[in-house]
Amino acid sequence: MAIRKYAILGALALAGVSLFGLSAKAEDVTLTLWSLDKDTQPAPNLVKEFNAQNNGIKIEYRLIQFDDVVTEAMRAYATGQAPDIIAVDNPEHALFSSRGAFLDLTDMIAKSTVIKPDNYFPGPLKSVEWDGKYFGVPKATNTIALYYNKYMFKAKGLDPNKPPQTWDELVEDARKLTDPAKNVYGLAFSAKANEEGTFQFLPWAQMGGGGYQHINADGAVKALGIWKTIMDEKLASPDTLTRGQWDSTGTFNSGNAAMAISGPWELDRMTQEAKFDWGVTLLPVPKEGAERSSAMGDFNWAIFATSKHPAEAFKALEYFASQDDKMFKNFGQLPARSDISIPESGQPLKDAALKVFLEQLKYAKPRGPHPQWPKISKAIQDAIQAALTGQMSPKDALDQAADKIKAVLG
Amino acid sequence: MKRILMSVRDGRGFDIVLVAFPLGFLFLMAGLPLIYNVVMSFQEVDMFSLGTFSRPFVGFKNYTDLFAQPETLPILYNTVIFVTGSIAGQFLIGFGLALFFWVNFPGASWMRGLFLVSWVMPGLVVGAIWNWILSGDFGVLNFILRESGIISGNIFWRSDPHFSLYAVIIANVWLGSSFNMILLSVGLAGIPADLFEAAELDGANVWQRFWTITLPMMRSTIGAIISLGLIFTLQQFDLFAAITSGGPNNSSNVTQYWAWDLSFRQYDFAKGATISVIMIVFVMFASVVYVRSTRHEVRG
Repeated sequence: MAIRKYAILGALALAGVSLFGLSAKAEDVTLTLWSLDKDTQPAPNLVKEFNAQNNGIKIEYRLIQFDDVVTEAMRAYATGQAPDIIAVDNPEHALFSSRGAFLDLTDMIAKSTVIKPDNYFPGPLKSVEWDGKYFGVPKATNTIALYYNKYMFKAKGLDPNKPPQTWDELVEDARKLTDPAKNVYGLAFSAKANEEGTFQFLPWAQMGGGGYQHINADGAVKALGIWKTIMDEKLASPDTLTRGQWDSTGTFNSGNAAMAISGPWELDRMTQEAKFDWGVTLLPVPKEGAERSSAMGDFNWAIFATSKHPAEAFKALEYFASQDDKMFKNFGQLPARSDISIPESGQPLKDAALKVFLEQLKYAKPRGPHPQWPKISKAIQDAIQAALTGQMSPKDALDQAADKIKAVLG
Repeated sequence: MKRILMSVRDGRGFDIVLVAFPLGFLFLMAGLPLIYNVVMSFQEVDMFSLGTFSRPFVGFKNYTDLFAQPETLPILYNTVIFVTGSIAGQFLIGFGLALFFWVNFPGASWMRGLFLVSWVMPGLVVGAIWNWILSGDFGVLNFILRESGIISGNIFWRSDPHFSLYAVIIANVWLGSSFNMILLSVGLAGIPADLFEAAELDGANVWQRFWTITLPMMRSTIGAIISLGLIFTLQQFDLFAAITSGGPNNSSNVTQYWAWDLSFRQYDFAKGATISVIMIVFVMFASVVYVRSTRHEVRG
């Protein structure tokens, strides 16, 4: 008797599940989409809007945690359970493209009236490329620049409208702004032993004529030397070595650092928290007129090669791209496109900062692209930390990193 | 046939079935992953071959590669310091607290319960809290040490390579002490009170009673705690992730965190497995020592 009762209950539960699954119209194509975006971020909202159009395509959204994106996606792909669409961090895009896990979108993009490569900033676009073909579409982008506290500049006799433009000026200003008695450091940035450290250092190396293929270029060694000077003279907190960008910039917001190197993701928090006049300027360069470079962050859209509905999935990406102009207003993220002019927010500090970030984005370069990026990045992080803790000279540390990277590149 | 059936119902066969179930369960749940792990350490594994079994065997290449890396020996050394430091700290503080509450003053059991808070909290939360406490510029620990005149300048616990490993050990000692205290309290409660009364009548002082009665009677509890401590400290991952991320420059990196970093951040699963195998050997060695020391006790 009892068994029959449970059997009936079980059948009912199963029926419930299948009813739920069928709530989309029977003829609808159902796609799955994975991303790490939460309720207030683009992906789930775009999916909701897309589903509301009732165009015969339904998307099921699944939230995955930042740390799990790659491993989860790999496992799913290996067992044939991959979603149709996924958002991946841009340095990891090449890992999938190079092994044929992502769909080659080159032809679809060529025919598309919505997604045009020319509209995108070169950096983000480069990150979805592999072997001259497009394996995705940039979802959003960000970069880093120098925030500075205008009030402190004035207080220390510096011109608040002339933030440092070169490395030497940066160090010079940081020396003047550092005030141990008031618990104020000249600069806040992150040299943490994870991707954040690479993200912050690589632009410096690139401006010095280096790059991941030749990380021990003279200019890169000089850049690391400047970082070491900043650390040795305590112009930045020693905790820079273990603190991420979010926490480091927090000390700027609370008035404990006069300058901070960070990205536009701070704008909303800073407008709320910082009780002083601040500005943003481009990342300082080795010397006046030198080539600029900047970091490039944020995620890309991609369609898995195993998708049964590539055309429909691409249609979804087209819809997402068509909403790029609302990205900053609704979610505070920067679209990866140069053809969109972002409307003013009405907050003067934020609007002025936005202009600088959009300018900086022109110089943003992707990390890689290389399928073995995490290993390359690890070699760079180790070099940064070995030099900054004084265990190796910047030259030796970067030479060692170059050897490790050479072994990875093969 | 009938004899076999009979023996299963009542006899040798029944015993075998009884043993076979837990053994089979153990093999499935613990043995297979272990073997899989060992096999993986001899293979070349990347993200795309993770889901299949047909992977090229490379012999001891993963091991030789690993030991050719300059950071390997320091990390193994860090692990040893972390494990011994954590266990010693947790045990001494836990034992001290257990003895303190054993005195049984009013409210003792209630206060002892409060100490369990640290054990109930998730490791990542503990890590986040200690991350703030140990922060160099505005950390509470530096404030206390400075105000009490022990140090003159701030110690950058997380970022100074000389301190980073000890920063995590301090947090781990705090995390594990209450668990040690509870287990040791149970052990203490199990010692018959008349032993102490008799010793007191014979004129033994507090120290003599502690060395000749309390410690020997606690021997198996202590053995269990140390071996559990070994397992827990070798599992400790959250604190590293939350406080130092193994930095700066691997000065606070330990094998378990490194294995994770290699597997899930650099996607070098074979090397991650290789480190796990080294850890397994380490734990097996420790457990043999433990088993031998307790076997001695049973005989004596």
